[in-house]
Amino acid sequence: MLKVALRRFLLFVLTLWLLSIIVFLASHVLPGNVGRAMLGPFADPRAVDQLNHELGTDRPLLAQYADWLGGFVQGDMGDSFAMRQPVAPFVWNALGNSLRLALLALVLVVPLGILGGVLAALFVGRPLDRVITVGGLSAAVVPEFISGIVLILIFGVWLKWLPLSAAAPADAGLLVQIKYLLLPSIPLVLVLFGYIARMTRAGMIEALDSDYMRTAMLKGLKRSTAIRRHALRNALLPTISVVATQTVYLLGGLVAIEVLFHYRGIGSLIYTAAQKKDFPMLQAAVLVVGAVFILASLAADLIYAWLNPRIRLGGGE
Amino acid sequence: MKFDFKRLDLLRRGRSPIENHLIDGLVAGRIDRRSFLRHGSVLGLSLPFLGGVLGTVGMGTMPRAARAAVPGGVLRMAQTVPAATLDPMKIADGGGITTLSQVGEYLCFDMPNLTLAPQLAESWSPNKDGTVWTFKLRQGVKFHNGATMTADDVVATINRLADPANGSNALSAFSGVLSAGATRKIDDYTVEFTLDAPNGNFPYYLSSDNYNAVILPAKEGAEFEKNWIATGPYKYESYTPQVGAKFTRFDGYWGPKAIADRIEISYYNDIQPQILALQGGEVDLILQAPVLQSVALLNDPNIQILTGPSTAHEQVHMRVDMDPFKDARVRRAIALCLDRPALVNGMMKGKAAIGNDSPFAAVYPSTDQSVPQREKNIAEAKQLMEAAGMKDGFEVTLTTEDYLELPEYAVLIQNAVKQIGGKITLQVLDQGTYYGDAVPGKSPWLDSTMGITDYGHRGVPNVFLAAPLASTGTWNSAHFNNPTYDGLVASYIAALDLEAQRASASQIQKLLLEETPVLFSYFYDFVSATKVGLNGVIPTAMGQIRLDQASF
Repeated sequence: MLKVALRRFLLFVLTLWLLSIIVFLASHVLPGNVGRAMLGPFADPRAVDQLNHELGTDRPLLAQYADWLGGFVQGDMGDSFAMRQPVAPFVWNALGNSLRLALLALVLVVPLGILGGVLAALFVGRPLDRVITVGGLSAAVVPEFISGIVLILIFGVWLKWLPLSAAAPADAGLLVQIKYLLLPSIPLVLVLFGYIARMTRAGMIEALDSDYMRTAMLKGLKRSTAIRRHALRNALLPTISVVATQTVYLLGGLVAIEVLFHYRGIGSLIYTAAQKKDFPMLQAAVLVVGAVFILASLAADLIYAWLNPRIRLGGGE
Repeated sequence: MKFDFKRLDLLRRGRSPIENHLIDGLVAGRIDRRSFLRHGSVLGLSLPFLGGVLGTVGMGTMPRAARAAVPGGVLRMAQTVPAATLDPMKIADGGGITTLSQVGEYLCFDMPNLTLAPQLAESWSPNKDGTVWTFKLRQGVKFHNGATMTADDVVATINRLADPANGSNALSAFSGVLSAGATRKIDDYTVEFTLDAPNGNFPYYLSSDNYNAVILPAKEGAEFEKNWIATGPYKYESYTPQVGAKFTRFDGYWGPKAIADRIEISYYNDIQPQILALQGGEVDLILQAPVLQSVALLNDPNIQILTGPSTAHEQVHMRVDMDPFKDARVRRAIALCLDRPALVNGMMKGKAAIGNDSPFAAVYPSTDQSVPQREKNIAEAKQLMEAAGMKDGFEVTLTTEDYLELPEYAVLIQNAVKQIGGKITLQVLDQGTYYGDAVPGKSPWLDSTMGITDYGHRGVPNVFLAAPLASTGTWNSAHFNNPTYDGLVASYIAALDLEAQRASASQIQKLLLEETPVLFSYFYDFVSATKVGLNGVIPTAMGQIRLDQASF
């Protein structure tokens, strides 16, 4: 058990290290230097050189990378090139915002998706099944910034029921925060609902058709109990993996939603940092998202094992 | 028109020959009212004086805004997030300029109608050849820390900006105009600037047009990001990078005190959510609404649109040293394919002014309006192509940046040149890639055979004339190299007198029509939007916005 944990931890560190090299190289092969990206095309070359010198971006790449890595392993994420302030508060703040939005979206979409999938499986081939599968698929192909604009126009501009921007005032309580995040989470629910429902439906149809369900029914369990205790537990396994892989999308891939709803999430932080060649900001933000993704996969594995006793940890050695 | 020569003579007394020549031009009808006001303000003549002269020739006085407003309240503004730090010396983006303009002030301010208004300077005047300019400072101006502004602060600020060692962003404006150490204190309220070369429009270099030139205290100026000390009608309350900024009324302000108690600015990454926030009532105004993206606002009865003239434009360069553009006739033929009124009315929804293939926009007082406007003429274009031996057309790649309406404009050019057999392949790059390292050899902007580049507003055409078109120009995408042109630009820049400027301008305009290294087919307006009923907002095409006299 300890060996497994250690191996996973080393893999975790190795993955992040490789990720940091990729981000570093990617941000340096693109044309244009940092000072130029900061000051713009029309700035005097002397001003650009001076800025590059102040930022240390006129040094060899390897030295820059080593410098950054040295700080990072000691817990110093460095200073933003653009803001000339430590990166850490920006990254943690954006991550917190992104997590809140992702969490609300998941809290809404997972029960809805599972319920939809189960219902579709129970009424397979009938109108309800058609509505859920076709409706879910249609909703998923609408880009989230399109559904976002439509939602803002209806609920924000015309009806004025919900705030237009997702950022709640600093002192807002939980309920107020949810009110602010409700509108931006709906497009995410629309995108993910169909996916989760389809996975659940497929798993459920298979489970309902299985031998153990027939046994459960034959031994006299009520249909609803059999579904809850036996079918659902097995049908949910693939759904768990789906949800885990979607966390990266929900955390780092929401640039359009964050921009539209005026929300400082980690997706738009990465996007602007990449545009401005703000390497310390970009590096820290990407690594944090990477770390969260790896942790989410780990959590998925644990839940998987809990639902499925056949692959309890250690058993696979 | 009734002339009051007696009063005019009184006003003329003691005025310099250059100033009197401007008045001569007005009296003789060579200079119109608008040009008179604009150029008079450059020469340092006060608006009451200019108004007085206009009165004697029957052109009325300046309109005065008189409106009783109740002090108090909060104004909420949406703007683009500043790209980097808010150090006035380094600032280089519209977002930063807008936020800075809440606290910072300049020696003079380039108003929305492109006249220079005195701000921290009360008056200014050149010597005979325009090599030395003397600025008289306003007395009784307080910084936000309570200290009084004097010549020492102005000298320190400007010398700091002109010193290459500081890497200031004003270097590109000051290069060849004002060197470090060339700013000198005469007395506590007089500052003298000794220029590298004669310059008839120098006050613009110290105005809001040169947005880095915010006057800061001599001592604390280098620490602006920590203390935000300047002289404006609002002072710093809080700033959260990437989120927003708040400002409160400065009671020690030298001018009329601000009406609203506070200004709250929210930063946005894109224009679309700003428009939605304005429509949804979450903000009271947005500073810059690009025409293409703000069509929804143009028809909203709850929103008022403020449109101001600007000299911002898109330059379509054609490399004169590369095929198929080596022959000027080919470049002219392409220019003749464009239907400019259709571009302005269709693509720009009428929010632009037609250009005549030179930087001389109609709004500049020095522009010679009598130079004929180039119009679409396919027959002539075909003749030119035949004469150039290119009857069968040409193939070329048009490279541009994915910004504002540039991709749409590129498609319209692509379609237009089909009429003379031109086959254009489009290459639309993101902005970072397009500009690259901004040096020849490492920048599609400067290397491409044909390209479109966005240029921001300038109160005088000096920069547009030199950097993208002069043989030594650092932004010369067309690789245009014409000694006659260089000479004309030097004499234009040196000229103090409006009519002398116009004479050079006229020759430049004609030369550029003949050579056509760059297409200037329109100059787009500066568009801001506010809630209906918000009055007194003063936006500039450069990106500043004055809200101190704004109220509902």
